[in-house]
Amino acid sequence: MSLQGFLLLAAALFSLGLYGLLTRRNAVGILASVELMANAVNLNLVAFGRWHGVVDGQVFALFNTALTVAEAAIGLALVILLYRSRQDVLVDTATEMKG
Amino acid sequence: MDTLTPLQWASLALFGPLVVALVLGVVWPLRKAGGPAAGLSLLGATVNLAAASVLFVGWLGGADTVRATLPWLIHGGPEGASMIELGLHLDGISVSMLWVVAIVAFCVQVFSLGYLSDEPKAGFGRYFTWQSLFLFSMNSLVLAPNLLQLFMGWELVGLCSYLLIGFWFKKPSAARAALKAFWVTKFADMGLLLGLIVLFVHTGGFEWTATTAAAGTVTLLFFLAVMGKSAQFPLHIWLPDAMEGPTPVSALLHAATMVAAGVFLVVRAQPLFAQAPLTGEVMTWVGAFTALFAASVAVVQTDIKKVLAYSTCSQLGYMIAALGSGAVLGGYFHLTTHAFFKALLFLAAGGLIHAVHSNELSHMGGLLKRLPVTGWTFIIGALALAGFPGFSGFFSKDLILEGLFDAGAYGPLAMLLIGAFLTAFYMGRVVFMALLGPPSEHAEHAHEAGGAMTLPLVLLATLALGLGFFAGPMARLYGLTYHFHLGAVGITATALGLAGIGTAWIMFGPKQGLQGLAAAFAPLGRVARSGAVDKGFALAYRQALLGLGAGVAWVDRYIVDGLINVMGYASLAFGDRLRAVQTGNVRDYVYAVVAGLLLLGAFGAIVQG
Repeated sequence: MSLQGFLLLAAALFSLGLYGLLTRRNAVGILASVELMANAVNLNLVAFGRWHGVVDGQVFALFNTALTVAEAAIGLALVILLYRSRQDVLVDTATEMKG
Repeated sequence: MDTLTPLQWASLALFGPLVVALVLGVVWPLRKAGGPAAGLSLLGATVNLAAASVLFVGWLGGADTVRATLPWLIHGGPEGASMIELGLHLDGISVSMLWVVAIVAFCVQVFSLGYLSDEPKAGFGRYFTWQSLFLFSMNSLVLAPNLLQLFMGWELVGLCSYLLIGFWFKKPSAARAALKAFWVTKFADMGLLLGLIVLFVHTGGFEWTATTAAAGTVTLLFFLAVMGKSAQFPLHIWLPDAMEGPTPVSALLHAATMVAAGVFLVVRAQPLFAQAPLTGEVMTWVGAFTALFAASVAVVQTDIKKVLAYSTCSQLGYMIAALGSGAVLGGYFHLTTHAFFKALLFLAAGGLIHAVHSNELSHMGGLLKRLPVTGWTFIIGALALAGFPGFSGFFSKDLILEGLFDAGAYGPLAMLLIGAFLTAFYMGRVVFMALLGPPSEHAEHAHEAGGAMTLPLVLLATLALGLGFFAGPMARLYGLTYHFHLGAVGITATALGLAGIGTAWIMFGPKQGLQGLAAAFAPLGRVARSGAVDKGFALAYRQALLGLGAGVAWVDRYIVDGLINVMGYASLAFGDRLRAVQTGNVRDYVYAVVAGLLLLGAFGAIVQG
């Protein structure tokens, strides 16, 4: 398999995630989009690692996974708190931090 | 006594009084005991006098300069140059000054035994502690091998002056006078400090033998300190007030030794001063003006000590004028003779004051019959001061006047000649008012005090009488030569002096003549007594301080506060604009992040080309 295929797939995944991030109103959807983008990055890392013939890419991907898990834990905790205070998780109405 | 080297004698002279002062300062029961403290202090003064005399006799025989220094504040490792040296420097100048200080200090301490015998024991001990401290300080100034140690001694004698003027510190006027003396001389001492800094920057040392292009600046700054210490116009204002101290203190510090430190500095730093003709010019004029000004103020004083105080200012003016015009021998020899006859005059005046319990001339009168020793020694001192032929002051004053004549400084010379007339006049006035004439009721029961108070007078009177004949040996000490020669200037000065005494006899003798003349000068007298210079200083000081204060307040209110306020306002206004960015909507932040990412990417693409 060529490197190009992986990169194209990763770019598509990343763009999908970005699109979701920008368009979803639901906070859980936004979190899922961020996961998608992170995994696009992971795919890139592994692909480049394989292409260069080193394991660095895989190591980075592992770190990145751990980071993403932590981020998802915090994000979901925030979502739960948001739901408790507002009875919904729609981000475009939660503008209490307006300056 | 040949077992001790000159350096050992000098160390004895320097550290003897220091040990006494430290012992008395630390062992308070001894100090509070009074009498024993005085005995110890007198022992220190005697040792000091003995050592100084041995050295003096040695140097009269023609000894070379002896110098011993210890390095201090070494920089740059063990073999680095030492920044400062402390030690002893013995040559004709320092040894003769040491001897003068030793004799006067000894006489004053003996005299003080009688004069202050009514003091409480603790005060008596305190007085002698400070006397010893002063003796050490003055000796460390005189024996200094460089100008920095001289400066340390200079500050120490200033401190002792403050302490001794304020000896009766419970008296508000004495406390004020002590503070005034301290402030005025400290202000002037800044000049010495700044001068030393300039000297160090230019030469890397504190030697008075240095040759430097900055000699003009350095010596002018030094002269500021000299004006303060040696009470030159307009910084003379502290000296008359300093008379609040006990009379022996006035004799030692404010007539003979401490105020002469300024003159001594000029003599010591003569190699530096010789490189600065402008400073010499300034000194000649300031000195001559002070001599004339202070002499004319002395004429109208009613307090015997104030007369002598202004007379001291005036005589110091003679010395400064002489040194400024290059007549080093005249200036330094006059310092020596003046130290003896003025100390004598002060001590004798102290005897008169002690007898009548008043400083006022009008409370005296006819005292010569009641206090013959004090009276006659006072007359000897007065004649020496007036420059009566044969007395020591005659020789030294003649040297000064001849020096100014040779230097072509005719303006200052004229001032000094008028000053010579006034000097004789005011001393004649004091003698005729206090010693002759009808006794006042205060003087009725006056009687001679004990030997402690009369013997020092006799010793000093001998020196005031005879020292003039030893001008030759003294000149050799300074490395100069002296030939007696009485020129037209000397004859004029002598005639003016005699005329002054004669005028005083006519006005204040039994005939009380020339009252019209006295009346004509009365307004001038009122001005002189009103302390115009003091008031001028107070006014200038107040105006300058208020002006400075107003300026600082303006800067604080409009510049400093304004800057802070502008910064505060600017932050608020900017923040107000900036808050619109924070919409609180998460999506907007995400857009911002994405936009930033795209910008970064675009930037990277452009840079990569």
